[in-house]
Amino acid sequence: MKKTAMLGALALVLMSGTAMADTSGKKIAFSNNYAGNSWRQAMLKSYAAVTEQAVKDGVVAAADIFTTADKEVPTQAAQIQNLILQGYDAIVINAGSPDALNGAVKQACDAGIVVVSFDGIVTEPCAYRVVVDFKAMGLEEVEQMAKFQPQGGNLLEIRGLAGTSIDEEIHQGILEGVAKHPEFKIVGSVTGDWDQTTAQKAVATILPSLPDVVGVVDQGGDGYGAAQAFAAAGKPRPTIIMGNRQDELQYWKEQKELDGYQTWSASIAPGVSSLAFWVAQQVLDGRSDIPHDLMVPYLAFTQDDFEAVLPTIEKGGVASHEYTLDESKAAIAANM
Amino acid sequence: MKTLLSKPWIWSFLGALVVFLATIAFTRGVGTGGILTAALSLAVFTVIVGTGQMFVITLGPGNVDLSLPANIGLASAVAMKVMDGNDAMIAVGLLAALGSGLAVGVANYLLIRLLRIPPIIATLSSSFIILSIDISYGRGLQIKPPPGYADFTNIQIVGIPILAFVTVAFSVGAAIVLSRLVYGRSVLAIGQNIRAAWLAGVPVERVRFLTYALCGALGGITGALLAGYFRGASVDIGNEYLLSSIAVVVIGGTSVAGGKANVPGIWGAALFLVLLLTMLNTFGVSPGLRLVLTGLIIVGVITAAGGQKALR
Repeated sequence: MKKTAMLGALALVLMSGTAMADTSGKKIAFSNNYAGNSWRQAMLKSYAAVTEQAVKDGVVAAADIFTTADKEVPTQAAQIQNLILQGYDAIVINAGSPDALNGAVKQACDAGIVVVSFDGIVTEPCAYRVVVDFKAMGLEEVEQMAKFQPQGGNLLEIRGLAGTSIDEEIHQGILEGVAKHPEFKIVGSVTGDWDQTTAQKAVATILPSLPDVVGVVDQGGDGYGAAQAFAAAGKPRPTIIMGNRQDELQYWKEQKELDGYQTWSASIAPGVSSLAFWVAQQVLDGRSDIPHDLMVPYLAFTQDDFEAVLPTIEKGGVASHEYTLDESKAAIAANM
Repeated sequence: MKTLLSKPWIWSFLGALVVFLATIAFTRGVGTGGILTAALSLAVFTVIVGTGQMFVITLGPGNVDLSLPANIGLASAVAMKVMDGNDAMIAVGLLAALGSGLAVGVANYLLIRLLRIPPIIATLSSSFIILSIDISYGRGLQIKPPPGYADFTNIQIVGIPILAFVTVAFSVGAAIVLSRLVYGRSVLAIGQNIRAAWLAGVPVERVRFLTYALCGALGGITGALLAGYFRGASVDIGNEYLLSSIAVVVIGGTSVAGGKANVPGIWGAALFLVLLLTMLNTFGVSPGLRLVLTGLIIVGVITAAGGQKALR
């Protein structure tokens, strides 16, 4: 037994040793299509922090970040084609469209380049996809709501960017939750685009005509705006599910200090970009056993632990979690 | 009645009235006052940027300011950073936002004039530069507005936001400038025929300079006001004003070809857009259908407004 453990440890050391050797000459590019909001800024920051260290440690030769100037899909497709020509060994992508980039992604695969998409994923089968279980997140929102509002009541739903897979999955999860908890009824649904301003505006327009609302189920980035809209309309403050943004958690803390306000917060961690990087590195390292669809958990905070993380998030930022190589291996193993 | 119907601005108000009546019919009168208050609160911002855009568009074909969203985003960050949560700095913060917007307007004009770039390209490319400045300047700086300032943007008198009163006064001022002052008449003259205006002695380039600077400054002020109303600056706080600033000008009865401006129509159109959003949200229309309906209804109102002209 002891011998096996020792052999195992030896094998691990050897494996990590070969990992260094095998990818130290590899170049990984990051193709990103948008940088204009706090989540994307945090995503880029997490990615840069992890990859700079990886380059310094000699794990990879280069890990460059390329962000397109606009949100347009053709621009990103052209960018990917440039990255192919520049001879990168792997491309990590946050894609502007699930299917419109498939042509460019296929070209990359055909050129022997490893493609890993996350957040905004691509459907091309040759690429890897790192996805968060958004449906479970939507379902859990209603489960949590049932804890805070045991009598049930009317809910307002704030949806995300229309047409994205993320918006649809969270929405389906919420519907499933409401089916499970018939004491809740969704009386209104607005589009908040994961954006505080848009959400506040949308909620302000629908609020006057709604019956009393006990809770708001949303998709992150929209909780603080919803709270402002309720305050501006002079309506009682409902239980608003938060989305890990600094302003949302700060509002939660203020309300908690005021009268013991309770809620729950969840979102995709922007640091999932660093997991995508490690997946690319592992594939380059010769691992062929990694499934092309990787499901990772969402990042959630409860009444007990959100105040601990709040000081670590910069103003206007998002709670994040940067993956180390070992955590990434564990995340991959959980999918096998 | 006939003279009223011949006013180009009447259609935007009629459109606003129709969607409002449809909404309260659906809710059976529940929340009528609240809907109007929310509509007024949100419409004022569109009115201010729309007025700036109207002056630019009136200069004639090709003149448009596409840098407004980026300008608004930067000004919101500048205002909140200067105010720094301190009530005593409100006026300074507003001036800083005004200055930031003014600088953007002047830069736009310089690009158009000195480098001879068409306004659409010039303002679009300057918006990329402004956005980059904003991202590096405002990163992680989502400073909240001072409490006094945040409250000010939300004060209501019998359900009417105080900002709406201020904005009505501003619109009256803009209408006077347009129809009574030499500057406003010059803008109209340039829009009707730039060569004729130049031959008649209108200082064409000075007027264009003033117009782009004015539009920039109004964008800056709007950025500061939005940061107060939405409780914090952000890079994409002005995103929706790219389309809506132009839409309210067109729906409001101003000629896209230039030379014919209309201030009251901007109010009708801004209220129409907010009430349209309210109606679709209240009806619970799915997001995809919502976009289709918004497009169709806007086309309908513009056609109705333009149809009058064709009859003559």
